[in-house]
Order: sequence, then structure tokens, then C-alpha cells
Amino acid sequence: MLILLLALSAAPAQAGQPDGGPGTAADAGPAKPAGSADAGPDDEALRRELEKALGKDAAAAAAAGQPPPPTPAPDPAITGAAPLPLLRGTQSLNPDIAVILDTEGGYQRRPFLFPSGDDPALRSEEGKKSLGFAVQEIEVAFQAIVDPYFRADVFLTIPNLTGLEVEEAFGTTTTLPWNLQVKAGSFRSAFGRQNGQHLHVQDFTLRPLLNAAFLGGDGLRGPGAQVSWLAPLPFYLTLHAEAFSLRGPEQPGPGTTLAPPVASFGGGEPSDLTYTAEAKAFFPLGEEWSIFAGLSGATGVSPGLFQPTDTGVNVLGANRRSYLVGADLYVKWKPPNVARGYNSVAWQTEAIWRHFEDVEGVPGGWDGGLYTQVVVQVDRRWFLGVRGDVLGLPTSSSLGRTLRAAGSITFQMSEFARLRAYLEAERAVSGPSVPGVVFAAVQPRDSLAAFLQLEISIGAHGAHPF
Amino acid sequence: MAMRRFALLAALALSSPKPAAAAVRVVSSIPTLGSLAKEVGGDRVEVQSLARGYQDPHFVEPKPSLMLLLNRADLLLYVGLELEIGWLPPLVLGSRNAKIQTGELGNLDCSRAIPVLDIPTIRVDRSMGDIHPQGNPHYWLPPANAKIVAREIAQRLSQIDPSSAATYQTNLAAFNDRVDAAVKRWQPMTAKVRGTKVVTYHKSWTYMSQWLGLQEIGYLEPKPGIPPDPDHLFRLIQAMRAEHVQLVLAEDFYNLNTARLVAEKGGAKLLDLPTDVGAKPQIKDWFTLVETVLKQLSSSV
Repeated sequence: MLILLLALSAAPAQAGQPDGGPGTAADAGPAKPAGSADAGPDDEALRRELEKALGKDAAAAAAAGQPPPPTPAPDPAITGAAPLPLLRGTQSLNPDIAVILDTEGGYQRRPFLFPSGDDPALRSEEGKKSLGFAVQEIEVAFQAIVDPYFRADVFLTIPNLTGLEVEEAFGTTTTLPWNLQVKAGSFRSAFGRQNGQHLHVQDFTLRPLLNAAFLGGDGLRGPGAQVSWLAPLPFYLTLHAEAFSLRGPEQPGPGTTLAPPVASFGGGEPSDLTYTAEAKAFFPLGEEWSIFAGLSGATGVSPGLFQPTDTGVNVLGANRRSYLVGADLYVKWKPPNVARGYNSVAWQTEAIWRHFEDVEGVPGGWDGGLYTQVVVQVDRRWFLGVRGDVLGLPTSSSLGRTLRAAGSITFQMSEFARLRAYLEAERAVSGPSVPGVVFAAVQPRDSLAAFLQLEISIGAHGAHPF
Repeated sequence: MAMRRFALLAALALSSPKPAAAAVRVVSSIPTLGSLAKEVGGDRVEVQSLARGYQDPHFVEPKPSLMLLLNRADLLLYVGLELEIGWLPPLVLGSRNAKIQTGELGNLDCSRAIPVLDIPTIRVDRSMGDIHPQGNPHYWLPPANAKIVAREIAQRLSQIDPSSAATYQTNLAAFNDRVDAAVKRWQPMTAKVRGTKVVTYHKSWTYMSQWLGLQEIGYLEPKPGIPPDPDHLFRLIQAMRAEHVQLVLAEDFYNLNTARLVAEKGGAKLLDLPTDVGAKPQIKDWFTLVETVLKQLSSSV
């Protein structure tokens, strides 16, 4: 896997070279320049020196790991000597359309205990190892300004080739007074940090465990409305309030042995909404350091804990009210002149605690979990990440203890393509523990998974917020 | 209680529109545009910039703190031609400021009257690198373009703040006179550099080359946004030797190790040049910016 990554990294620009030069950066062969004198020993020395210098020189032009730098092409064949002002910009009122593909090959020792909807799904069966390919997600994005009052964003996804889903489809106001903004449609909640982000913004192949454990496999998203307000203060502070009509997960089919994570939301009566509130504050420390912190809360009705049995599914603790509290912190170091060194460090931590009411036979109480991750940009195109996950801090009748450690190496070929090697080791120490109920999945269990993920993006995709 | 406090804060937010006599708050994406706004706005405007002059304007982090500046702006100035596409749109949306949204009076794409260069004449795709479909956005240095941008800003300021329209027109005329005088003063320098063969890091000097008559022989980047590779640099150095290229031009926000090596091997001199007001503490306005570039160029040929 690493060898493939390294081989690809060694040939960055040649792939699309107009003259189709066969040489690669690692190839010392004297690809003779057109129209130049014969390549002598001096040229060989120069070539070696260039290779050495580029290897050492972390900086270069202006691109990878960053928003697209729209400088024009240096290729004179595609630029006009005498520009015609009439040609400027092909006017189109179509929305920006982009497609983002995440695909991988991988290995999984066991099925995931806390699968997120956009995690890669190999053909996994309990008790069997799986090895193969997955098309993790195809996202199709349509984005445009609607009129002087709204913009609209529609993101359709096909996770693991299972069918079309609406990841998000919402309108956002652009001209409300009083620093207010309203979002309506189906969208990802502002709860925490990772929940609002799409797969291709994640630094790892799999989402953190707390996503599926507390917010649901697809995250906290669904039809709803959000009002947010930018406080008129000397620092950045926004307050958000949201309401969603969520539907709980389907009950597992016959033959399932693993109990899915208990859903926090989507139970109760059809009129039971899920409510959230968030505060987000940003503090720049000088020009290099940024601190982005958030506090979140949510409440809804849980559809209960599903216990698969030989004959069907028992539902335990249905229609309990859940209360979630979350805290997130994102600290980033990145010099303003990033092109000088192409180095940055980002530390992200998020914790969620959840409280269930007591009901007959199923004690309530608090459970929680967190993850913390560090992503270091070591070179212009290279990012290294480590992440640790803990679920069950504390444990409860609904949630046992699970630990996970993960690492990723990301090679960003351009703004539009990246290759990522991902490795994780998971240890489930305990499972749900309702008195008098035996869950089929045997605990503890260890699991290992590794993926080589390719992510490519075509079309015009809007810039992401900080 | 909490609700009452919220209502109070909301009322404070509502009461923020400026009284008639207050200055127009201008926020520019890059400092040079703000500096031109200061030239025509004088003390009728307050100017702030999102990017710093020593920063690559493609690569600004969309920090939420920048939304605060935009939240209070009456006029947003940006380069356009998608130079800021990687960071400005989420800031404008997040600013919750109706006045500066696209299509509004407070939103000025400064490229709107610029005779744009490097507009692709064939169908472009990303195999050509991070290509720009609308043309080259690095247009703000040549005097003719600075005058166009200043005129656009003066026009827009007059619409936003009609009571000072006469002042803006007077200031614009004075600015144009100063530009003409500067061009005359710079004439010995511009004459000296005419015809000089150069290699540049990005294709970001096209407008200056057109103004000054520089001959661009090649670029360090094989394609926009794609880092230099040995094969490309090898060919470039051969071309530099064959063409007797005198200068390698690079913006001062790059790591210049590669450019230095290419200049040395190609028999040319490397110039790291400012491209924006504030790139160095002494570069306080468009005049000192252009003069600094011209001095460096003319003293090296």
C-alpha cells in the first residue's frame, strides 16, 4: 500500500504532461529536451541536482492542500494572445455541479460495531474476514444562488452503491436582518464539528465512533429548520437553534446477531421533534494560530435498544427521552505564508455525553464518548493523522466500552484527488448490559481494518468553511 | 430572562446601521484594492483588508474572524476572476451581511472593466492544472488597470454614499493625475526593462509583462498549481540558457529555494518581488508598490 503511495507521489506532474514525456521525478534517465543540445554529463549532474533540490524543498508553487489556486495555464496553446472581451466567462445560470467519488480496497477482520452510513462496507459477515473493494460514496452536489434572498445546496449521495440518499438539500437565506440566517430543508445539524462535515472533508477514511454511537449512522441530519445568529461582539460567536423530524433506524432483519447501537433520536410519536442548540466561538491567536470551539445540546426520543433474537427483535427501553451534550475544540497552526513551508498542524477533539431517562426494566443514566485527532501537514502534498476513540465514558445499560486507534497517511495529488492509507485497531471491551438480557454478540472482541482510499472530485464544488 | 437578553442583543444588532455622516466601511480581499479605495475615498472611507500583503491571495484561510469584518462592511472589494474562490464565498455567506452579497451594491468585483488577459481559447479541463477559465486575475499592478479599478470604486462609492459623490470624483481625478505623473517619473526605469527576457514562477506577471514589454520565456510551474518537477525545470533551464534569460521573477511569499537554483543554473538573476500593498512595511500604497517592483527590475538589468 505504502509502496503504491510512494510510487504515485514520485510522479506528480508527468502524468498529464502535454508532451507525454515518459520520465518520472524518480527516473534519472535523460529525457532529452526538445530543441536542446545533447544531454552530456553536465546535464546529468544538473538533473540530479534538481531532483535533490526538489526533494528537499518543501515549498514550490501554490496549490495542494489548499483551496484551488486559479492562476491561468502557462501553456500558450490554451491561452489567447489577443483576448476577446466578449468571450469572457461562459454565462450560465446552471448550478455548480460536482461529483465526488470515494472508493477503496481494504481488509476488515470483523464487521464494524458502530458503522457510519458513509463508512466503506466491504462484504462483511460476522465471524468472517473480508477483503476486497468498496465504493464508499458517490456524492453529487448542486450549488447555486437562487435569487437575491436565498442560496441552495443539494447533495445527493450513493453510499456503498446501496441507492440514492439525500445527504442534504436546503436553502439558506442571504439577506435577513439582525445578523440572522435561516436554513430549511434536509441538512446536517451544526451539532459538534464532524457532524456538519461531508465525507470528503474528513481527515480519516472512517468517521469517529461517536458519530454512529450517539448521533446515528448517518449523523444527526434530516428534514428540519435552523435559525442562527452572529452575535455583535468583538469576537466571532454564533448561536444556532434547530428542530428536526427524524426517523429512527430500521429494525435489524432476521439473522442479525449484532445489536446495532441504540439510536438517540427518531422514536416516539410522529410529532416528537428533535431539538438542538449550538454555540460556536472562534479566536485567532496571532496570524498562525486559530481556536474554534463549540458547545452543543440536543434532545429527542429514542426508539429503543434493539436486541436481535432467534425469532425476531426485542425492543428495550423504547420512547425514552434522550439528552445530549457535546463539546468540540479545533486548534490549528498554519502560517499565513503557507507556501514557504507547506506545514500545518490541526488538533481536533470532540466529546458527547448522553442521558437517558429510566424506564421499566432498562435503567437510564449517563454515557459518553470522545475522540481526539492530530493531523500534521509534513510536506506540500503529505498529511499524517492519528486518532484515538473511546466510547463508554462512562458506560451505561445502552453503551459498553469500545476503544479504537487509527492512523492515516494522505497524499494529496492536487486539490481534486487524494490517496489515503488508513489503518485502525478496535477493541470492544464490553457491550450493552441491560440486567437480565443477553446480547448475542460476544464481548470482548478485537478487530483490525485497513483501507487504501482514493478520493476524486470533478466539477465545480464550493469552498468549505473553516 | 435569557429571552430578554437575546432581544436586547438583537436590538443592538439592529441599531448598528451607520448614521449619515459616518465613513463608508470598505473591506477588500487584498490590501491593494483597499489602498485604491483609500485613494478615491479619502477620509470618507474606513478600509480593512481580509488578506495580508505578504500572503498568497489564493491561500487565505477562511477564518470565522474574517466574517466579523465582512459583517460590518458597507462595501466589499475583490479581485474576481475566481482568484478568491477558494475562501471568500463561505466568508460572505457567513457574514450575514445583506449589503455585500453578490448582486448587491456593496459587492464589487473589481475585474468588471479590466481588459482580461489569458482567457482560454480552447476547452479547458483540470488536466491542465488548476486552470482559470475566466482569465488571469493578477491585473492590479499596471497603471492603466489601477485607474480602471479606482474609477469603478469611485463610481460604486458614489452610489453607496451619494452625498460625497463630488469628493469621490475629485479624488479620482487627483489620483489619475498622480498616476500619470508617476508613469512619467518612472519612464527611465520602464524604458530600461523593455524587452527583458524573464521566467516567472507563476503565470502571474502577464499584465506587467504586457505593460513593460517583458518577454516571458517560461514558468517554474509546469502547470498552474502543479509543483515544479525535475524534467520540467531541466527543459526550462535549457530554454533559459538558449534564450539568455536575465531574470527569474517570483512573488515574495514563496519558498524560493527552487527558483534560486533555476536562476543560478539558467544564468539569470532571481528577483523576489512584492505584489501587494503591505508585502513589506514600507509599501503603503499602490504607488510605492509599483515603484518598488520597477526599482528592483530596472536595477537588475
